[in-house]
Amino acid sequence: MNEVRLIVQRFDPFEDVEPRMLEYAVPKWEGMTVLDALLYARDYLDHSIALRFSCRQASCGSCGMKINGRPRLACYTQVAELGGKKVVAQPMDNFAIIKDLVTDMESFFEKHRELLPYLSRADPRELDKPSAEYIMKPEELEKILQFTYCIKCGLCTSSCPTVATDSKFPGPQALAQAYRYIADPRNEGGEETLRLLDDTHGVWRCHFAGSCSFVCPKGVDPALGIQLLKRHVMSGRAPRKKGEGAKVWATSLDTPSQK
Amino acid sequence: MKESRLVLVQYATAVAAVALVSVHLIMQGVIYPYTTAISFDNILSVYRNGFYAIFLEALLVVVLVHGFNGVRIILNEFRQTKPWAMWVDAATVFAIIVTVAYGTRTVILAVFGGAPA
Repeated sequence: MNEVRLIVQRFDPFEDVEPRMLEYAVPKWEGMTVLDALLYARDYLDHSIALRFSCRQASCGSCGMKINGRPRLACYTQVAELGGKKVVAQPMDNFAIIKDLVTDMESFFEKHRELLPYLSRADPRELDKPSAEYIMKPEELEKILQFTYCIKCGLCTSSCPTVATDSKFPGPQALAQAYRYIADPRNEGGEETLRLLDDTHGVWRCHFAGSCSFVCPKGVDPALGIQLLKRHVMSGRAPRKKGEGAKVWATSLDTPSQK
Repeated sequence: MKESRLVLVQYATAVAAVALVSVHLIMQGVIYPYTTAISFDNILSVYRNGFYAIFLEALLVVVLVHGFNGVRIILNEFRQTKPWAMWVDAATVFAIIVTVAYGTRTVILAVFGGAPA
């Protein structure tokens, strides 16, 4: 029979003592994703399965989970690529379970927020009412472009061995995003982020296992970002030299449209 | 001390340890045959060579600082409370001072005292 064995880890922290694995026989079709299989099981076999999803196209990062032992996006993983016979869906590691496949992302986003992931300017008025366009050179964009693809799905954090042992470690997502903003030439801040990272549980606790880069569904290389970030933390300075932010600003006034 | 400075110390001592241990192994295993190298008289004569005594002292300091700082990092990953980090840091400094002092004592006694070479 053209079916896939879908095994889902079920756990309700208010009712269960420990997780249990329940199996569902789901009809298989061409192009079927793990999310399709889970939604079929939820809609037709067991309404109580809890899962989180939204866009179904690997853009929102909501359906991160452990599939056949590896952190993946359910919407971006086809049943066929897993062999097509057995799919095991479990919640992401390193996150508290709210119910079944739904994990608590609060501390994940909090660690992201703590590292000030935004652009700042020396003149705060520029943040609300910029007086001209901020320009980046293509080579400057190239340095940070891949890190802007992060969808905050949490798969990298789920695979990180340091996060598993050190609850204060910011994790690969937060660190890669810290690098993304520190390396941005339009940013005149960043020193406070570097100070926060130069801590016992900061950037130095990354042992470069590289599992974050291995599992990222968007092709981001957080491990690379973290190593580049270490260089800036060591110097205690954001990459641009003093006055260079202003230089970027000055060249922005010289755009063709304004000549 | 800032963590970045401690990491710098860790990197520097790692590089120095590789260099010093390599020289040490070459001296003990290649230049002298191993059985000769560990004989009492040879060890005493090595200690009484001023240059080599300084070399051994440097090896002692570099390896102990690197080792204990590494243990500090591991212990700080076990628990994430401030008192724990404080105790671990204090214990690390204490352990480095005590072991370096004890090793230095051995070097000094071998250089200035002990049995005649």
